[in-house]
Amino acid sequence: MRRFFKGKGLIGTVIVLAVLLVAVLAPLVIPDSFATQMNMRARLSGPTWEHFFGTDQLGRDLFYRVVLGAQTSIMIAGAAVLMSIVIGLPLGIVSGYFGGWIDNVLMRLVDTLLSFPALLLALTISAVLGPNLTNTIIAIGVAFTPFLARIIRGEALRVAQMPYVEAARAAGTTDAWMILRHILPNIMPAIIVQSTISLAFAILAEAGLSFLGLGTQPPEASWGLMIQASRDYLDVAPWTALVPGAAVAMTVLGLNLFGDTLRDVLDPRTET
Amino acid sequence: MAYILNRLLSVLLTLFLISVITFAVTNILPGDVAMMIMGTQSNPEALAGLRETLGLNDPLVVQYGRWIGGLLTGDWGQSLVFKEAIGPLIAQKVVASSLIVVMSMAVALIAAIPLGVWAAVHRDRWQDSTSSTAALVGVSLPDFFWGIMLILLFARALGWLPSSGFVHPGDDFLGAIRHAFLPSLALGLGLMAHLTRMTRATMIGIMGQEFIRVARAKGLSEREVVWSYGLRNAVGPVLTVAGLQIGYLFGSIIVIESLFNFTGMGWLTYQALLNRDIPLIQSTVFVIAAVVMLTNFLVDLLYVVIDPRIRLS
Amino acid sequence: MTPIVRIDRLRVTFGSGADTVEAVKDVSFEIAPGETVCVVGESGSGKSVTSLSLMRLVEFDGGQIVDGRLTLNCETGPLDIATADSSAMRDLRGDEIGMIFQEPMTSLNPVFTIERQLTDGLRVHRRMSGPAARDRALELLKEVRIPEPEQRLQQYPHELSGGMRQRIVIAIAMACRPRLLIADEPTTALDVTIQAEILALINRLKRETGMAVMFITHDMAVVAQIADRVVVMYRGEVVEEGPVDQIFSDPHAAYTKSLLAAVPRLGEMRGKPAPEPLRLVGDIVDPKPLLPKADPEPLLQVSNLTTYFPVKGGPLRRHVANVHAVEDVSFTLNKGETLSLVGESGCGKSSCGRSILRLVEPTSGTVILGHQNVVDANPRDLRRLRRQMQMIFQDPFASLNPYMRLAAQVAEPLKNFGSASGTDLIDKVASLFDRVELPRDYMRRFPHQLSGGQRQRIAIARALALSPKLIIADEAVSALDVSVQAQVLNLMMELQSDLGLSFLFISHDMAVVERVSHHVAVMYQGRIVEIGPRAAVFGDPRHPYTKALMRAVPIADPSRRTFEDDLDFKPIPSPIHPLTFAAQPSQYEEITPEHKVLHIS
Repeated sequence: MRRFFKGKGLIGTVIVLAVLLVAVLAPLVIPDSFATQMNMRARLSGPTWEHFFGTDQLGRDLFYRVVLGAQTSIMIAGAAVLMSIVIGLPLGIVSGYFGGWIDNVLMRLVDTLLSFPALLLALTISAVLGPNLTNTIIAIGVAFTPFLARIIRGEALRVAQMPYVEAARAAGTTDAWMILRHILPNIMPAIIVQSTISLAFAILAEAGLSFLGLGTQPPEASWGLMIQASRDYLDVAPWTALVPGAAVAMTVLGLNLFGDTLRDVLDPRTET
Repeated sequence: MAYILNRLLSVLLTLFLISVITFAVTNILPGDVAMMIMGTQSNPEALAGLRETLGLNDPLVVQYGRWIGGLLTGDWGQSLVFKEAIGPLIAQKVVASSLIVVMSMAVALIAAIPLGVWAAVHRDRWQDSTSSTAALVGVSLPDFFWGIMLILLFARALGWLPSSGFVHPGDDFLGAIRHAFLPSLALGLGLMAHLTRMTRATMIGIMGQEFIRVARAKGLSEREVVWSYGLRNAVGPVLTVAGLQIGYLFGSIIVIESLFNFTGMGWLTYQALLNRDIPLIQSTVFVIAAVVMLTNFLVDLLYVVIDPRIRLS
Repeated sequence: MTPIVRIDRLRVTFGSGADTVEAVKDVSFEIAPGETVCVVGESGSGKSVTSLSLMRLVEFDGGQIVDGRLTLNCETGPLDIATADSSAMRDLRGDEIGMIFQEPMTSLNPVFTIERQLTDGLRVHRRMSGPAARDRALELLKEVRIPEPEQRLQQYPHELSGGMRQRIVIAIAMACRPRLLIADEPTTALDVTIQAEILALINRLKRETGMAVMFITHDMAVVAQIADRVVVMYRGEVVEEGPVDQIFSDPHAAYTKSLLAAVPRLGEMRGKPAPEPLRLVGDIVDPKPLLPKADPEPLLQVSNLTTYFPVKGGPLRRHVANVHAVEDVSFTLNKGETLSLVGESGCGKSSCGRSILRLVEPTSGTVILGHQNVVDANPRDLRRLRRQMQMIFQDPFASLNPYMRLAAQVAEPLKNFGSASGTDLIDKVASLFDRVELPRDYMRRFPHQLSGGQRQRIAIARALALSPKLIIADEAVSALDVSVQAQVLNLMMELQSDLGLSFLFISHDMAVVERVSHHVAVMYQGRIVEIGPRAAVFGDPRHPYTKALMRAVPIADPSRRTFEDDLDFKPIPSPIHPLTFAAQPSQYEEITPEHKVLHIS
């Protein structure tokens, strides 16, 4: 534990906690109107005392929009990763633990799905289903599933070949108990590390989708949407892009720092 | 030889599965091509007629057969948005995208390998923390954020490079490179950060191996130990990861090409998706997945050349 | 005579600040020209760190020479290695001092040819290149007796066997005719026949070139075979130093004595009727032999057991060939006795043990335990049958679940069969901990808090939980230090005499097998080539392979050195056969009704 909260682990933890806190608390404390209040006279204003981070093309305060947008971005990313784990975990475990033809079929399918760039798959699903908040979650969740299933399968396969699993089998342990007590706890570190890193990727994906107009739709406020809106005003008001962009970068950096340290501590195999 | 034949068969099987998945994703989900062509306000009888002529009432298997048959015989159908034959359209855009994909990959590899090796050799010292932190920041920034910053800096503030448009290299080679430069850089920076991290991790693993010790015990200089004994072993794994990143690049070009108005595959796919141009979506998605898969196949073959262990088994 | 190298009060640390670990505390000794000095000790004794310090390679692993002098007497005068600058060190490495390492499989760079790796040193130190370097490389390959040396130059390491690779590593170290060769456990990863070859090779090279050898090992038997002088190390310090005969016949240090007492010596069971525990230093009562019952009762009858593993190939992963792991194996194990399966890596001994438990599915044959056939048992019967047979694995670190408390792991078999619950369960687990001589407060610990030997005790306790009749021990003591190995072996023998257990003891170590077995089966290429009572197989070996194996085993007694120049063992042929391959049945010649030898075709 002491090793964790040092250097990059500490920075990562602080950033992740701060972003989570903002995402949860901001909507409770700050009235919606702060972010939606238009002020045509203060359109595209640079950072001032009144508006820390400036305003957007409708004169809305960027600081409040970024703070309130945190919830949407985090929620979508979190739900998408959760979805990919819920689908990927059973697939991966069944494939890795039982092996055989199930494994052959599932992994051939997963490998094929991995030929589709995740962002392309997410964009396509979102476009075909019709872009909105729920479909964005589904699109990102489905797009990430093959990747997670692959990793979990590899881990389950590794653990299933450990002597302690053989010893347990020789001692009459049933498959269900084996998965619950021996396989799951031993693949957990890898899953936790992967989820953290996937969360970072999911935030990037949400931003990308919304940026292209195929993710969250107005009047929701997400970071990607804010960057999209800024595209036409880059020359006059670059901060309208830089502020939400920095928010995304900060969050993803925090998650990556957190995930990297987590991997060093929990799962030293993956990186020397 | 048997190995290559086996891999080729496997490639064909995967191509088939890719086509099935592409077709399934675009057909099982709701969406009506006929309505898209004629608009939502059109008359139901005309819609029904169009469905009949397009064969939309046939079972999905028949529709799939017709589509794959068309792909194989070179008849890729008509784009609903562009009112053009899809085949030539895609062929033209693939050239544009190849330019930025190759350029960004080259930029990323040329910078990442030395940086990663350097960080690994100075593991846990300031050189390592600096380059690792930079790389971590690099992977954390969204591509379009890089893109916007590059536009602001090189196009707006300095005015050195164009920020929009595509020039065919056959018409004006220098102009093509100039136009492709910023999008390539936007794609390449994130990739470079990722590959730097990868190279570092691989090199740290290799430098802990016994044969490195043996090389030192022979009295070789540290430079030869690292850059010849060590790096030669890292090239294979790093290239494999770079190959896998082709998939990531083909996802990112959708964002980057539309940001830079660079009319390549990414831009075309985006137009297809925005306008729900189902025939065009099917073809672009299929082509991108196939290109990604084939690139990985080529990287695998390259690995065989690089690593004598696989060459013979 | 002036020594080649003199180590004076060497002290080496790893890490810094509060995390500093002292790997070598205070080590002094010297090596004279033409002599072999063995540095012997168990893991953590600092023997490898000492050798790496002599090459100043220790700094690449994060170590630091903080004190002491390492004086090398060069032609130009003495040089202190501890303070030499790095360019002087590069000139020394591979020129004055050559070094070979433990893992032949990873000692060679997989992507360079043998020629390139052999000529690197010549290029750097002798400025040799082209045909001159190639000629010298060929000469070196002949010197280490590699067959077909011309072809080897263009080959890559993975095309060669482990023994061949170790010869190449030796050739690399010999390239510039070093005056000192450091060998860091060079035979530990090798099979016993290959070990014998490599030891003979090092001895011959030493004789022919007059170089000095510093040989690092944990194996007292190897020491007895090659040392002139011995340095015994324990926890970073030298505890004893002396000529090899004196160390073995009249050790002074208590640690040396206990180390020697723990080593089983091949041949020392001759004339003894039954296995008996090792008499360790500090034991008061003499160990009692484990006499078999007058009328033995069979427990396990294995007949014609055959196990093939499919080799899959092609894009559809079709079944293209078979690995013949176990080929027509038959034997009987009696109640309360130990039968050992002994052989080198790849001989099928582990697959045989796992086939009996059906951890891998046998292809054909019968395994009768009690009165029931394990091979065709349905899943429910199999589960019931497995209550009577349990397994102990080799790797003490991998055989326990790192995320479960020790008590829960020992209790798991009992829970699975509902044999006990509540306080009854806790009592049973506690008595199992007593049984394997572990304190009860270990029950709440996790595996990482235990040493290797303690973990192996937990594995034994878990195997004992269901009161099985048979325990299959697969290299159960191979990963342990020799003193810990002796304790675990004694525990197993004690359990056998107390509980009437039968052991199927799978091992590569002939001396250990001789110590613990009632019956012995020697395996080669998936078959039993010779089987019989321990005294018969060890006292009167008949099959050529058994004889070769016996000849190759080093004996922990310097007065019984084998002087054979480069013994010539044949490489083991591939066990992979096409699907259509029909193996011959195993046919045996009876020496006595119990002692049988495979017909040699």
